[in-house]
Amino acid sequence: MSLLAVSNVSIRYGRLTAVRNVSFTMAESETLFITGPNGAGKSSLLRAIAGVTPPAQGRIDFADHDVTGQSPERIARLGLSMVPEGRDVFGSLTIEENLMVGTGMHARESNWRARAASELEAVYATFPILKDRRHAQAGLLSGGQQQMLVIGRALMTHPRLVAIDEPSLGLAPNITDQVYERLIALQAMRKLTLLIVEQSSTRAMMVGGRMMLMRGGEIVLDGDARELGRSEAIEAAYFGYGEH
Amino acid sequence: MAKRNHSRLSILTRSVGTPLLLSALLVAFALLAWAVGSRPFNQTVIDIFVQVMLVTGLYIFVGNSGIISFGHAAFACLGGYVVAWTTIKPVMKKSAMSGLPDWLMAMEIPYWAAAASGAVWAGFWALLFGAVLMRLSGIAASIATFAMLAMINAIYSNWASVTAATSSVVGIPILRSVWPYLAGAIIAVLVAWLHSISRHGLTLRAARDEPTAAAASGVDIPRARLIAFVISGAVMGMAGALYAHSIGVVTPNTFYLGMTFITLSMLVVGGMGSLSGAVIGVLILSSLIQILRWLEAGVQIGSSTFALPGGVQEIGLGVVMILILMFRPAGIMGNRELTLPWPRARAGQEKAPDATGVET
Amino acid sequence: MPGLLQVVFDALSLGSLYAMGALGIALIFGVMRLVNFAHGDVIAFCVFALLWPSTDAVAIVFAGNLPWFLLVPFVLAMGAGLSVLLEMVVFRRFRRANPATMMIASFALGFVIRYGLLTLFSSRPKSISLLPALSQPIEIFGARIPLLQLITILVTVGVLFGLTVFLRRTRFGLEMRAAAENFTMARMLGVRANRVITIAFALSGALAGAIAIILGSQTGTANIAMGANVMLMAFIATVIGGMGSLTGAVAAGFLLGSLATVLQAVLPPDARVFRDAFVYGLVILVLIFRPQGLFSAQGAKERV
Repeated sequence: MSLLAVSNVSIRYGRLTAVRNVSFTMAESETLFITGPNGAGKSSLLRAIAGVTPPAQGRIDFADHDVTGQSPERIARLGLSMVPEGRDVFGSLTIEENLMVGTGMHARESNWRARAASELEAVYATFPILKDRRHAQAGLLSGGQQQMLVIGRALMTHPRLVAIDEPSLGLAPNITDQVYERLIALQAMRKLTLLIVEQSSTRAMMVGGRMMLMRGGEIVLDGDARELGRSEAIEAAYFGYGEH
Repeated sequence: MAKRNHSRLSILTRSVGTPLLLSALLVAFALLAWAVGSRPFNQTVIDIFVQVMLVTGLYIFVGNSGIISFGHAAFACLGGYVVAWTTIKPVMKKSAMSGLPDWLMAMEIPYWAAAASGAVWAGFWALLFGAVLMRLSGIAASIATFAMLAMINAIYSNWASVTAATSSVVGIPILRSVWPYLAGAIIAVLVAWLHSISRHGLTLRAARDEPTAAAASGVDIPRARLIAFVISGAVMGMAGALYAHSIGVVTPNTFYLGMTFITLSMLVVGGMGSLSGAVIGVLILSSLIQILRWLEAGVQIGSSTFALPGGVQEIGLGVVMILILMFRPAGIMGNRELTLPWPRARAGQEKAPDATGVET
Repeated sequence: MPGLLQVVFDALSLGSLYAMGALGIALIFGVMRLVNFAHGDVIAFCVFALLWPSTDAVAIVFAGNLPWFLLVPFVLAMGAGLSVLLEMVVFRRFRRANPATMMIASFALGFVIRYGLLTLFSSRPKSISLLPALSQPIEIFGARIPLLQLITILVTVGVLFGLTVFLRRTRFGLEMRAAAENFTMARMLGVRANRVITIAFALSGALAGAIAIILGSQTGTANIAMGANVMLMAFIATVIGGMGSLTGAVAAGFLLGSLATVLQAVLPPDARVFRDAFVYGLVILVLIFRPQGLFSAQGAKERV
C-alpha cells in the first residue's frame, strides 16, 4: 500500500495552471526527488500535498486518508510534515521554542511531555549545533543552522513523511552536504519517507533514490536518479530538447 | 511624444463613456425631481446628489490608492464650516461665533463661491495631513486617517468662539433647487474621471495593483497618493459645503462617524475600485435607507401602525455591508466601469488583482 | 509632592486603560492581521450586559447588582463570549480576505453592535452605580488617589504579568506566538488555526470587559459610545507601537496616557479642552519621523 498517492492533480492560480494532471505514488521509506526548472510546479505540488493550496482537480491520499483540500494542521497531524522553501524559522522564538511548536499536536496522549523531551534530545543529537545555541533567537542563526532547525522542527511532529522544498537554496555546498548527511542518517534510523524538491538534479544523483522531473506542470521523467543521470534523458527533459 | 499624446487621447475617448453615462443618470434623477415637483422628493434627490459628491470624493482616494480612509468626513466638515463662516448673515455670526476675524465676520458670499472656498480650504489641509500620512503603510495610514478625523472633530467641537463648539450653527441659506447639487455631483464625477485617466491616477492604480513593480519602474508612490488625497479632500470639501447648504445647519458631529460609515458603505457596496461603483452604490443604498427610514416612521397596516425601532437603518446598512464584503468584496461593479458600447469596447479594463484590489 | 504624585497616578491609570485597549487590538492583529474596529463596541456591550433592556433614563440594573466577585467574572465572560461569537459568525469567513476588507467589516460590525444597543437601550446615557466603593479616595504619601485608579493600575500590571506567563510558558501561548509570526508555517506544524484565533479573541474580549468595568465605575454611566474614546487612543497606540508588537502596543499605550495627562496638567486652562487634539497632533509628528512606529524592530517597510 502506498503511503502517498497523488491522482490527477491539477493546481491553478486564477487562469494560470501550475500543475497539470499529475499522478504518482510513494511507498513507505522511499526517497523521492522532484527536480526541474523554475516554474515547473514543484513547489505548488508540495503545497497542495501539505494542504496549503487546495488542488483545483484531483485527489491526494496519505496514510489511507483522503487529504485533498484538507487543512494543513490536519494533514500534519496525520503524519505529513512539510518544510517550505526559504527556511521559515519563527525568528522571534528561540531554537528550543521553535522545535517545541510542533509537539502540541500530541498533547492529548499520555506522557507527551516525556516523549517531547526525548524527541528534542534526538533532534539535538542529530544537529548538535542547535543544542549549543538552544536559547538563542532563531532569527540570528546562519543559513545552514536555520535549515537544520526547520528540518529538526518538522521532525518533532514525529512524521511518517517529510516533504522538503529546496533544502539547498542559498546554502554553500559544504553546508548542504552536512544537511543531507544528517537527513539520510535520520531516514535510515527512523524509516522516514522523504519527498524532496531540488532544483539541481545533481544532488539527487549524488544522494540516490527515485527522481521525477517536472516541467511546465507535468512529470516528464520518472526513474532511478543515478540511471537517469547517466543517460542523456535529464538534459533533454530539463531543457525541452526535441519538443516543438 | 506624438505617440504618447495619441495614447492619452485614446484613453480619453475610450473611457469618456463613463462620466457621460453617469452624468446622464444624474440628470435623469434631477429631471425626475423637477417633474414630480414634490418638496420631500426634491429633498431626497438633493440628498442623493450630496451623497454622490461625498462618495465620489472618497473614491478618488480610496479607489485609486487602495488605502481605506476613515477620515474623509473631516474634509467635509472643513468645507461645511467654511460655508457657515462665509454665507451666514453677519449679525447672526456675531452672536454664535464671536471669535471670527472681522473680515470673515463681514463676509457674505454666494453659495458657489462658498463651495469653491470650502474645496480649497479642505484641499489645503488635505495637503498638510497627507504629506505625513502618505508615508505610512496601508493599515497604519487608515488608522491615522481616523486620528485625523478625531482631531478635527475635537478641535471643531471645542473651539467655541470660532465654530460654536457642539452647538448647531444655524442660518446657512438653504438652497432648495436641485440644479446646483446636480452641478456639484457632475463636477465631482468629472474630476474623478479626469484624475483617473491622468498620469497620476494611472500610476496610483498601478501601484495599488502591483506596488513592487510600480516602485521598480520609478513611480513615486507617496506623491501619487498625496495628489489623490488632496483632490479627494477638495471634492469632499465641496460636498460638505453643499451639504451645509442643503440643510442649513452644521454641527461637528454631522461630519463624524455617521457620515463616515454611510459614505464608506456606499462605496464598498458599489465597488471600491470603480467610479461607476461609487455612484451606483449611492443610488442603491439611498433607496435602502429611504425604505428603512419609511419603515421606522411607521407604516399603516390595516388599523394599526407598524414601525421599526430607531437604529434599524444603521443595523441594516451594516449587515448589507458585511454581506457584500463576505460574498462580493469587490462590490457590485467590481473594478469595472459603466461604458458606452463603442466598437473597441474594452474601455479602461483592469484585471482585478485580488478580491477587492485594495492594499493591505 | 502630592500634586506630582497625583499626576503620576493619573498618567499610570489612564495609560493602563489605553495599554489594555491596545493589547486587545494587538492580540487579534497578531494572529489575523485584523484591526478590530468593533472592539470599542464590545466594551460598550459589556457595560450594557449588566442592565435589563429598556429605554428609560434610569437603568434597570440586572446583573449589576451582583457582588463584585461574581460581577467581574460575569462581565469578563460576556466580553470573551461576544468576541468569540463575532469571530465564529463573521470574522471566520474573512480568514482569507485581505486586511483592508477585514478592517472595514469590523467597522461595520461595530456599528451594528452599537445601533443594536441603541435599539434596546436608546441613545441617552443611563446612570448606573457600578462598584461605587471604588470611587473612594485613599491616601498615599499625602496624595488622595481614587481607589479605582489604583485598582486599574494593579489590574493592568496583573494582566500584563499573566499574559506574559501565558505566552512564554504555556503550550497555547507558544502556539499563539508562532502563529502570530507565521500563521501558515504554524499550521504546517499541527497548530490548530481555529483554536489559536479563538483564544486570541477570547482574551481580547475579556480585556474589553475589564475596560468596561473600569469605565463604568469611573463614569457612573452606560453610554453606547463608551468605548470609543479609549479605543481611538488604543488604535493609535498600536500604530505608533509598531503594528503587531504586543510590547510596543502596551508601551505606546502608557506613553499616550502619560502624554495626555501631562498636557492636561501643563496646558493653560483655555487650551485644556483641546488636549486630545494635541495628543493626535503629536502622534502625527511622531509618524513623520518614524512611520514604522517607535518600537518596531523592522525598518520602515512599506507593507505591514
